[in-house]
Amino acid sequence: MTASISASGDLPAVTVRRQTLSGTVAIIIGIALLVGLVAMPWWAGQGTIRSVVELCCYIAIAQMWNLLAGYGGLVSVGQQAFSGVAAYMMFALAQNLGLNPFLAVPLCLIAPAILAVPTYALLHRLDGPYFAIGTWVVAEVVRLLTTNFSYVNAGAGMSLRVMTQYSAHERAIGVTLLCALMLLVTVGGTYWLLRSRYGLALTAMRDNPVSAASQGVNVPRLRFLIFVAAAVGTGLAGAIYFMAQLRITPEAAYGPQWATVAIFIVMIGGIGSIEGVLIGALIYFFADRWFGEFGATYLVVLGVLTLLVALFARGGLWGLVNKVVDAPWFPTRRILVSGGGE
Amino acid sequence: MQWLDALIQGVLLGGLYAQYALGMALMFGVMRIVNISHGDLMILLALVGVSLAVSFSLGPFVLLVLLVPIAAAIGYVLQHAVLNRVVSQDPLPSIIATFGLSIAMQNAMLQIWSADTRSIPGGGIEQASWQVGPIFIGVLPVIVLVVATALTGGLDAVLRFSKFGRALRASAADVEAAALTGINPKAVYAWATALAVGILGFAAVFQGLRSTVAPSDGPAQLIYAFEAVIIGGMGSVWGAFMGSMVLGISQAIGFRISPGFGILAGHLVFLAVLAVRPQGIFGRS
Repeated sequence: MTASISASGDLPAVTVRRQTLSGTVAIIIGIALLVGLVAMPWWAGQGTIRSVVELCCYIAIAQMWNLLAGYGGLVSVGQQAFSGVAAYMMFALAQNLGLNPFLAVPLCLIAPAILAVPTYALLHRLDGPYFAIGTWVVAEVVRLLTTNFSYVNAGAGMSLRVMTQYSAHERAIGVTLLCALMLLVTVGGTYWLLRSRYGLALTAMRDNPVSAASQGVNVPRLRFLIFVAAAVGTGLAGAIYFMAQLRITPEAAYGPQWATVAIFIVMIGGIGSIEGVLIGALIYFFADRWFGEFGATYLVVLGVLTLLVALFARGGLWGLVNKVVDAPWFPTRRILVSGGGE
Repeated sequence: MQWLDALIQGVLLGGLYAQYALGMALMFGVMRIVNISHGDLMILLALVGVSLAVSFSLGPFVLLVLLVPIAAAIGYVLQHAVLNRVVSQDPLPSIIATFGLSIAMQNAMLQIWSADTRSIPGGGIEQASWQVGPIFIGVLPVIVLVVATALTGGLDAVLRFSKFGRALRASAADVEAAALTGINPKAVYAWATALAVGILGFAAVFQGLRSTVAPSDGPAQLIYAFEAVIIGGMGSVWGAFMGSMVLGISQAIGFRISPGFGILAGHLVFLAVLAVRPQGIFGRS
């Protein structure tokens, strides 16, 4: 993970360092957690597995929103269009066409990918805040079309009855494996992306799109690719979430609560960082368990917290932590160490 | 004949949409801000209107006189306490702040007024209609359209000819240059939002009279206002007015084709405009 720059002339010898101790520790913990997740069917109960699957879906959806808004500068409040359309595609493939449901999960991702292309082509013409509401209109259009589409049982929704051919244990193995893959793709994939050449371009674009463009970053192309990638990642989370639920309706699949959850997690945790998403997802998950019974009051508090973070602490919790200690879990910075060498 | 009827009803519906859209066009034109809680503010005002009307048995006109100043005051406070802190080139803070506000408002309204749909008693005016040949034209929708036209004309005149309008346009064009000439942009913004939400006060009373309101209705109204502004073309209040007409007519014709298709028809016309003429039908490219 180190690359030395040959020092010529009067430049001091430096080494580019990217890995940190905290990062190594975090990777080890992360791998242990993933192994624990895949092994869940052998040590955890049905209820625990259900909760953890839900948490994994929150992490994935929030991470994809973070990629969009935090790095791409594309604020969307309509990502439920993609999670919903992928989940419906999975239900149609498995229930109507008789495909293996676990195979249908990766296959259904074609739907959000295809939807993302015309959506972006239309909406990228809209200025910042209007782009956000434009995505919401697209989600509403997809919801209304689904509600009128009898092939997927219109407004009444569908049940994934084909899952009854598997035992509860087999289902748990399939779903936890899919969850681990999803985390690898969304969280691991984002981390890999940020550390690659594109990571530099993305970070530059996050900080200032105009100056990034002047440095040779193809901002429109990068934004388009991010939009499609986020649509696919969000779709994967939607498909897994509704596979675990075994039931889908247009209201649940395309409801604005998906946007609320993603925005809350990312903003509270800290936008523009992977750590923030993990922290935010854990907070939301436990807040939902402990305070969900208070219903509307709980949501009022959630809304006000989001407002306060936007006003006073834009970096979220991870931003506050960063002011005190510098110990990234997913180090993406390139640090120059003077006098380095091998 | 039923298509002529749909056209007329669509224009009348457009009058109501214009009252939502004007405030949004004003705020975006001046501050580049989209207030996600725009629709929820209107619903809040309408529910306050329902409670006032029922508690003190007020007529629609008295209610209008009471509610519009309340709305303007809410707008002024909203700008001072929240939006002035998030006005910037970056769209993220303003979207997130108003999104959070929208969630909080919807759920607070749910607690106070419950999920029931309510309407403002109009003392008979809501049922009155004129018959022109085979077509019935409601008296109230015509009043809504006339008021919407007057509000659009008035707002346009204020922007063009008043000192405040000049300060507003100067701040919209270049905040720093405007500040150099002695304009206080934050104060201008606060009055602009007061004006925008004040217009929502009219919309709230008419929405409550014409149909029903419930705490969860806000987002739909936000989307209609937004579509009207984009269809008409950003940057002019008459554009927003005409966009509202196009949206109203699209929905009315869609409803005639199939009841499940009305709202969708409006969305599809919006997407078609975005594909063919992204600057809006009446916008300058």
